[in-house]
Amino acid sequence: MVQYNFKKMTAVPTGKDFIDIILSRTQRQTPTVVHKGYAISRLRQFYMRKVKYTQQTFMRSSQPSSTSSPLGRHPSDHYKLALGQINTARNLISKVAKDYVKLLKFGDSLYRCKSLKVAALGRMCTIMKRISPSLAYLEQVRQHMARLPSIDPNTRTILICGYPNVGKSSFINKITRADVDVQPYAFTTKSLFVGHTDYKYLRYQVIDTPGILDRPFEDRNIIEMCSITALAHLRAAVLFFLDVSGSCGYSVAQQAALFHSIKSLFMNKPLIIEDMKLVTEMKAEAAKTVVAQGGEASGEAVLLTMSTLTEDGVIAVKNAACERLLNQRVEIKMKSKKINDCLNRFHVAMPKPRDNKERPPCIPQAVLEARAKETQQKEKRKLERDLEDENGGAGVYSASLRKHYILADEEWKEDIMPEILDGHNVYDFVDADILQRLEELEREEGLRLEAEAEAEDDALDMDARDLSPEEREALAEIKKKKAMLIQEHRIKKSTAESRPTVPRKFDRYRSFTTKRMGRELSTLGMDPSAPSTGERSQARGDDEAVNMDVDQPNKKLRLRSRSRSRPPGEVVPGEGLRDSAQKVKAIKLAKNSVKLRNKSARRGEADRVIPNMKPKHLFSGKRSIGKTSRR
Amino acid sequence: MRIEKCWFCSSSIYPGHGIQFVRNDAKIFRFCRSKCHKNFKMKRNPRKVKWTKAYRRVHGKDMTQDSTFELERKRNRPERYDRNVAENTLKAIKKIDKVRVAREARHHAQRMKGNKVSEMKAAVKELEQSIHMVKAPIALKEDPSLTLPKLKVKVVQPAQAEDQMEE
Repeated sequence: MVQYNFKKMTAVPTGKDFIDIILSRTQRQTPTVVHKGYAISRLRQFYMRKVKYTQQTFMRSSQPSSTSSPLGRHPSDHYKLALGQINTARNLISKVAKDYVKLLKFGDSLYRCKSLKVAALGRMCTIMKRISPSLAYLEQVRQHMARLPSIDPNTRTILICGYPNVGKSSFINKITRADVDVQPYAFTTKSLFVGHTDYKYLRYQVIDTPGILDRPFEDRNIIEMCSITALAHLRAAVLFFLDVSGSCGYSVAQQAALFHSIKSLFMNKPLIIEDMKLVTEMKAEAAKTVVAQGGEASGEAVLLTMSTLTEDGVIAVKNAACERLLNQRVEIKMKSKKINDCLNRFHVAMPKPRDNKERPPCIPQAVLEARAKETQQKEKRKLERDLEDENGGAGVYSASLRKHYILADEEWKEDIMPEILDGHNVYDFVDADILQRLEELEREEGLRLEAEAEAEDDALDMDARDLSPEEREALAEIKKKKAMLIQEHRIKKSTAESRPTVPRKFDRYRSFTTKRMGRELSTLGMDPSAPSTGERSQARGDDEAVNMDVDQPNKKLRLRSRSRSRPPGEVVPGEGLRDSAQKVKAIKLAKNSVKLRNKSARRGEADRVIPNMKPKHLFSGKRSIGKTSRR
Repeated sequence: MRIEKCWFCSSSIYPGHGIQFVRNDAKIFRFCRSKCHKNFKMKRNPRKVKWTKAYRRVHGKDMTQDSTFELERKRNRPERYDRNVAENTLKAIKKIDKVRVAREARHHAQRMKGNKVSEMKAAVKELEQSIHMVKAPIALKEDPSLTLPKLKVKVVQPAQAEDQMEE
């Protein structure tokens, strides 16, 4: 079913817009970059493409769907003219494009190809500019068409016609949701209006037409032509309205005359004549007039009376019209050939009753009993929720989830199985035949133990000589001594910086005594008195032997026989020092200057060796307070 | 509730301890304490870190393959509860533990077996070399055995007293 939906037509652009559209599309949809270094064939192709594309776009755009002819409601000359002009423009543009493409084939430089393209597009645009008035007109047409109501020509339609001001628009307002202008002056309705109404679950179109005057056909104006055309072309039920009261300004006779003149248009259409605006006393009189005048009307015409003001008979009229239309359509369908195909396809079979015996459905007794029991059970069954409520509510009672466990033995339901044992997961050991495997394991273990015992017996004796207990003692002693040494050394090392380096002769604790030495020597197994009784440690008895008399101590000889070191402060003549005090001071100063150097283990003034160029403690680590921006 | 194994050091993680890390490929790493976690973040290989079980296994310091390990296996299919089976399992766990401990001890002994000889050799050598620390060379010359020197105690003879007595 083709829908003439004019609202959905695309808008026709103005001339200028049209040019813009086409040119911008060309620019967007074709490649844009070209350099003069390209091969000449490529340049030509590039510009030819642009020209052709513009032409094609114009062809496409100037073929809108609106050229399909709508219901001829407009004077077709102007319309046809406009369409014709567009057609000529198309041909001209095609010609232009063809010519310029031919020229482009022989373009020898970028500049020449470009100018050819410019010329081609320019000419096409001029042509387009020339048809802009036609485009404007077509746009107007489209707008007008869009405003037309969408009428489906094939569905059930009811057409309302009659003289102006008889009450057609009021009627349509009453039966549909349409809101048509109703005014006291004639020709309020200037075009068709469509409303929809329902009857027996089917949708009906109701079309309101402008009023028709009784005039010869040629004198009719555009508005009347609307109605006439509608009447002529639409297959619909026709409701002809008569105003009996004469308040429309025309007598019944005039209206009847109109009726006769357009009778021809009512061929094959169910016709209902309404007597409108009925006020009771006039009824009988009016009916007579109509019948007298319209007596020759076909027997199919039905006469009804109604009044929209009092809403008297409106529904009846609608129903009657719809019914008649429906019947007519059904009849036509039945007569047509198509229906036979449908009819042949289905057949409703209704079995004829054999006799008057009642045969209700048969339900076996067991099923009935089961059903009864089920309903009973449903009421009596105890839910977990009830149980919970009984035992103290949600916070107090916790449902026993183990109730419905399916186990081999019912007593096991409340068993608690440990999950962890001795640092193992019990579930990891669970096995149906664990006993068997354990047995195997133990057997294995037993075997291994036996093998071990045998191996021990056969174990070869250790080659090494075992140490005797005394030797072991000695070894222990050695180890102890070594440990002591290490310990002492560690202490010394840790205190090295803060410990003063004092020569042994000033030992404060007097730890170096002969007795101690003797003790140590004896533990070592030496004779303790041996060192002190050695030859060297004995004082030489020379002086005693020579000088027997004590009265004359020979100091000078002593001086010579025993070499003695000079006292530290003794000034030797020739040294350059004044007196012993000065010498002592000088010695002190000298020692002071050397002390620091000695402490840092430098061999002399010139020793600038740095044992560790990048000590780790200076080049790494964070400060506990402060920044580490200087290293 | 399960006792898991720490990915780094392979120790057992009891419930409520440690951290679990899930990587984007859905692999789960469990750590028993922050030490293991931090080591993992430092991308350290547990096979190279001395104190982990992985290292010990790889370097043969601990038992690797044993039938006792096969008895303990993570089973994904839950079994229906059976009291007898549960009882047997619990008893078996203890026995298996005993066996396993015994085997580990054996393994350790086996590993340490060669020590005795080398130790003895080292001891002898040390004794010979360092005997001078407890025994003077003179004493050694007199008594060449590698033992502590005998302490000589001077005994004062009461001979004069006798003489006096005689007189």
